[in-house]
This record gives sequence, structure tokens and C-alpha cells, in this order.
Amino acid sequence: MNETDKDKEKMDTAKLAYEAVKTPEQLSAVIENTFKKEQKRVARQPYIRSFQAVAALFMVFVLSINLNQSFAVAMGEIPILNHIVKVFSFRFDPIETEQVHANVEVPVITGLSNETLQATLNEKYLEENKKLFEAFKEEMKFIESEGGHLGVDSGYEVLTDTEQLLSIARYEVNTVGSSSTTMKYDTIDKQEGILITLPSLFKDESYIEVISKYLIEEMRAIMNEDEMKVYWVLEDDFAPFEQIKPDQNFYITAENKLVMSFDKYEVAPGYMGIVTMEIPTEIILDILVSDTYIK
Amino acid sequence: MNNQKKMMQTFQQYLQEYKDAHFRLVYSYTKNREDALDVIQTSIEKALKAYQHKKYPEHLNSWFYRVLINTALDHLKSRKNIIPYDAELMEQTLITHDTYADFDLKHALDQLPTELKTIITLKYFEEMTFTGMSQILGENENTIKTKLYKALKWLKLDMEAKQYERNR
Repeated sequence: MNETDKDKEKMDTAKLAYEAVKTPEQLSAVIENTFKKEQKRVARQPYIRSFQAVAALFMVFVLSINLNQSFAVAMGEIPILNHIVKVFSFRFDPIETEQVHANVEVPVITGLSNETLQATLNEKYLEENKKLFEAFKEEMKFIESEGGHLGVDSGYEVLTDTEQLLSIARYEVNTVGSSSTTMKYDTIDKQEGILITLPSLFKDESYIEVISKYLIEEMRAIMNEDEMKVYWVLEDDFAPFEQIKPDQNFYITAENKLVMSFDKYEVAPGYMGIVTMEIPTEIILDILVSDTYIK
Repeated sequence: MNNQKKMMQTFQQYLQEYKDAHFRLVYSYTKNREDALDVIQTSIEKALKAYQHKKYPEHLNSWFYRVLINTALDHLKSRKNIIPYDAELMEQTLITHDTYADFDLKHALDQLPTELKTIITLKYFEEMTFTGMSQILGENENTIKTKLYKALKWLKLDMEAKQYERNR
């Protein structure tokens, strides 16, 4: 055997060792999860941007309150200025380890003239998030012993804050392998102290059809114009969007426009994220109860 | 289906199909499974960021290998376990080892500067062409050939002539 052949053999042995490395089974899942995570991130991006803008405009006061203190005490520390309606943050102690993260932030409304409504809403917000946080801590124990990743982010955004209206959007993002994002909205008439529901805006139930018809046409038009956008509104879609729910998510803008909102996967593929669409007032003008909120 | 969605699907299929090749390449740097998985995940994240900005690679394979190698090297640097580049010391080590009959080339490779190790790995283990290596490393083919020659010399291997012939 000459030198060259011997060296070739050495190289082949090294090559065998290189090739003998076994790919861990998790790699497939790592690839898949990274894609899902990225889609989630992209879906949330415009949202975060608008939150910053809104936060700057409406000066949301943010307080960090330790969960160990009672909520009542915490509430007592919040200065209430001349009954101006404001939204504060109540933050659960964040959890951040290599495997899990939890960031739960709850809105707290103060200064509403209708104190019963205010208490009801605040209690609802706190209860929902307490449940979320407790459920998370349960799952966390499992993850810490069995391995894996887990995350929950919940927070809110003040969408509209005018003399008359307050619209708050609350979001919840769960990450356990794949992620799910859900949104909940509340729109309040600050002066009257009323929680505005979608049916209460209209004379009868015809709004479901009118709004749905408009949305489907609009979504098709957007898809025609922009190939990056996909909504499930074509006849050959597996489960096309047909109509809004009677209590579909909505909010009212500072310009008194009605905006419909759909959770991830509700009307579009996951990468489209939360879908929101403004409804032109002229198409619902005839069926509105009044022009108090929507103009 | 829109373009971006299609591109991302292709990319995901490519990753699943070549995951073994990607893993052993990254593992040859990290020497640790967990770290190798981390490096692959970070690489995919970097790649997807480019996709989000609608930057699609012309040669997906070469491009992703480049991302993988760079991320692996960054990882090594962050771990601070990079082996200092000391030619003299290395030569001594290699000479000592060479006196043994079962001289372990794999071990010697790990003593090489990472740049040269990468070239050996791509050429002899992944059996790439110089054109392919040039796309991955962003250097021209002659530079790569010169470096390969240098690496082989350090490893005291007499196979450069043969290899060059095959690829000419």
C-alpha cells in the first residue's frame, strides 16, 4: 500500500466517523416549531407597532404591582384624577426561564362614572388572567419535569380613548409547540357608563348579513390586488368564511368607525394573524339604531 | 397559493429532507447535540427573517450551508471554546501523533483552524465541488484550493494531487 492509499484510508475512516453522527429525532419538530414560531412573530408584528403608537398617543399609565399584594391595596395606590377614565396595568410577576415564559398583564379601568360596570369589567379581566396564569403554572410543572417549551403572553391595547368611547383589546398568546392567539374586545360608552355590544348597535339582526356580504367582497378584492394576502372566501376553499357571529369581535375607532376583528385561523391562514377590517358607515347607515357611536 | 408561502414551503421541505446532512455538519463544530440543535434552530430563524423581507436565495442549498456554518462559528465564539490558531503548536502535535500507527485523523481535524476544517469537511465528507464550496464560502475557487492544499499539508496527507485531478 503506498502513502497516498494509506492517506485515502485515513480520510475514509474520518468520513465514516463524520457520517456516523445520528440525527436526534427532535430535529424534525425543531424545524416545524421554528416555522410556526416565525409565523406567529410575523402575525404579531403590525400589532406590536400599533400598540406602541397608541401607547404614545393616549399615554397609558403603566404600573407594576407585585401579585403578593392584594389587588384592593394595589387599586388604592392608583391616583384617580378628577374622574378621568384611565386604563392602568396590573402585572403578574413575569416568569422567564429557558423553557418557559409568562408575561401576563391585565388592564384596570378607573374613573368610570358607572362604578358597577367598572368593577364588573375589572373583575372579569383579573379573573380571566388569574385563571390563565394558574393554568400556566400547572403546565409549567409538567414541562419542567418532562421537557419542552411553554409560553403565555397576555396583555391589552387601548384602541380608542375619546371623550365618549373607550375600546380595549385584550390578547392572549399561548405557545405549546404551536401557538394560538385570541383577542377579546370591550367597548365602553364612558359618559353613559354602558358596555356596547354588537347587536345593540343595530335595529335588527340584518347586520349579520350586510356586514358579512361586505367583508367577503372586500376580502376577495384584496386578494385580487395583493397576492401575499389570503382569506378563506373562495368557493373552493375547504371551509370558507360565510358570515360573522352575532357577537363577532369588534371595536369602534376614534373616528366612530366600526371595525370587525377575526382571530387567527378564523377567516384566513395562520400567517395572516389577527384580521381586522373597517366597515364603511354608509353600508350600515340604514340599520344603525342611531349615529351616537358609529358615524 | 402566493409566492412567499410557496417559497417557505419549499424551504421547509428542503430542511426536512437534508436534516441529517445539516445536523452532522453542525455537530462537527459543536460536538454536542443540544448545541447543534440550537445552531440549526437559530439558522432557520435567520433564514426565515430573510424570507420575510422577500429575499429568496438563488441557491438554497449553498446559501443555507453558509448560514449554518456562520451560525456554528458564532456559537463557538460565544462559547469561547474556540481552539487558538497556533501553527507551530499544531505542527508539533501532529508530528507526535503521526508517529502512531492508528493516527486519528478525526482528532487532528479538530485541531485545524475552523476555516480549514470547514474546507476539508465540505470537500471530503460532503463531497462538494469547488464551485459549490465557492458559493458557500464566498471565496473564489482558487483561494479555496490553496487553503485545501495547506490543510492537507498540515494534516500530513498526500492526497491533494489526486483530488485536484478529480475536480479539474
